[in-house]
Amino acid sequence: MSDLQTRRDLFSTVARGTVLAVLAGGAGFLVKKANGQVVWQVDASRCINSRLGEVGVAACNLCTTECVVALSAVRAVNEYSRCGRCNICPAYFNITSAVNELGQPSEKLCPRDAIRRRPIGKVDPEDPANNFYEYVIDEEKCDGCGKCVMQCKEPLGLGSITLRVRYDKCVNCNRCSISTACPQKALMQLPVHQATQPAEVQRPG
Amino acid sequence: MQYRHVQVIDGKGALHGIAVDRHGAIYAAGETEIKVFDAAGRLERRWPASRPAWSVTVAGDGTVYVGEVGQIEIFDAAGKLLNTWRDDKLLRRVTAIGFSRDSVLAGDSADRAIRRFDRGGKFLNNIGKDNPLGGLLIPNGVVDFGVDAEGTVFVANPGKHRVERYAPDGRLLGHIGRFDGNDPAGFTGCCNPTNVAIGDAIYTAEKAGPRAKLYDFSGKLLAVIATDLFDPNCKNMSIAVDGRGRVYVVDTVKLGIFVFERVSA
Repeated sequence: MSDLQTRRDLFSTVARGTVLAVLAGGAGFLVKKANGQVVWQVDASRCINSRLGEVGVAACNLCTTECVVALSAVRAVNEYSRCGRCNICPAYFNITSAVNELGQPSEKLCPRDAIRRRPIGKVDPEDPANNFYEYVIDEEKCDGCGKCVMQCKEPLGLGSITLRVRYDKCVNCNRCSISTACPQKALMQLPVHQATQPAEVQRPG
Repeated sequence: MQYRHVQVIDGKGALHGIAVDRHGAIYAAGETEIKVFDAAGRLERRWPASRPAWSVTVAGDGTVYVGEVGQIEIFDAAGKLLNTWRDDKLLRRVTAIGFSRDSVLAGDSADRAIRRFDRGGKFLNNIGKDNPLGGLLIPNGVVDFGVDAEGTVFVANPGKHRVERYAPDGRLLGHIGRFDGNDPAGFTGCCNPTNVAIGDAIYTAEKAGPRAKLYDFSGKLLAVIATDLFDPNCKNMSIAVDGRGRVYVVDTVKLGIFVFERVSA
């Protein structure tokens, strides 16, 4: 056997192995997907509503308009461990609306009134600024428009609210229509154990 | 009253707290170091801190106090370590440091309060902690304050959109400030002002959108010193004022110190 034949055989073996590995990987992926182990999720570091560095731009609402599910399977989720529990929450209030007699903005931000606010802890009824507040998103009302997410992110807020796919709503399409429309490629297919972790926004760079 | 922007000092890396001494030299706490710039903005000297440095102040004799994680380090003017006050409970993250009469004040952001010590490092009392919320409302994670010539402590309480005034013993004396998302006389967003300095008036720095302002002691807005010069992603912008009324503001994204001077009364 010549050296040339030996190398050719080697290349051929490697190529066959590679093709088989890719096919096996793809098949595994499809099996996982078929078993519901791979699901769609929003990458908060890509989503323009939560991505750091994007300030002074309008919120993107493609998750609302493009999802095949009525009222969208994407909802805003507040990660309480990161929430500042502020008196004036820019995700709850329209902070540019006129100030009322309590010293607070007179309008809410959410067009569907999907965020509830209540004082928690030792409540001071005399001074609204002297309390912590809990903000709860009513997911039966939220349609994932992203306005609160855009207002909550740093530096204006603390980035505790992000958009998340809710699996009791999502029908797990092979080609998610939001992912097709999203210019940021923020909808990704992930293994369930990754997709269900709290959203992390990585700093750019 | 109007200000003009006169200079940007290259911060030579990260910038947290800044202070200006009576000669106009600018001290900056970097990542784990102290940097000293002359009045013209030239880097004069730098020396390492043993832990992450968050704040700095300079005593009348030139001694430099540095607020760090878990401790305060005290250096002479040349950067020689003179003393270390360690306390893992009272000094968990010292984001502001200053003097009130004969005491040393340290803003511990981890406990949302200001600690008052005597000059020997003995703890005396808290400031800003005795309230229903158990401390200052600082969603941004930074306590900041300034002190006037009488020793009164002016504390940024951003969650309340106020600058609060405390006696050194911790008594709340009053406050200025209110929320307003449109009127520049108010403080906007969830939590502003984030930083404060005291000179002949009250100087404040805000985030989102970043701006520096000047109030008289009754809370009347005297000037918007600057707005659009800063990177819009800035937050926790340390602010200082020198004896000539020049105002120094840290841009935490551009890593520079913006200098302003008053052009009209």
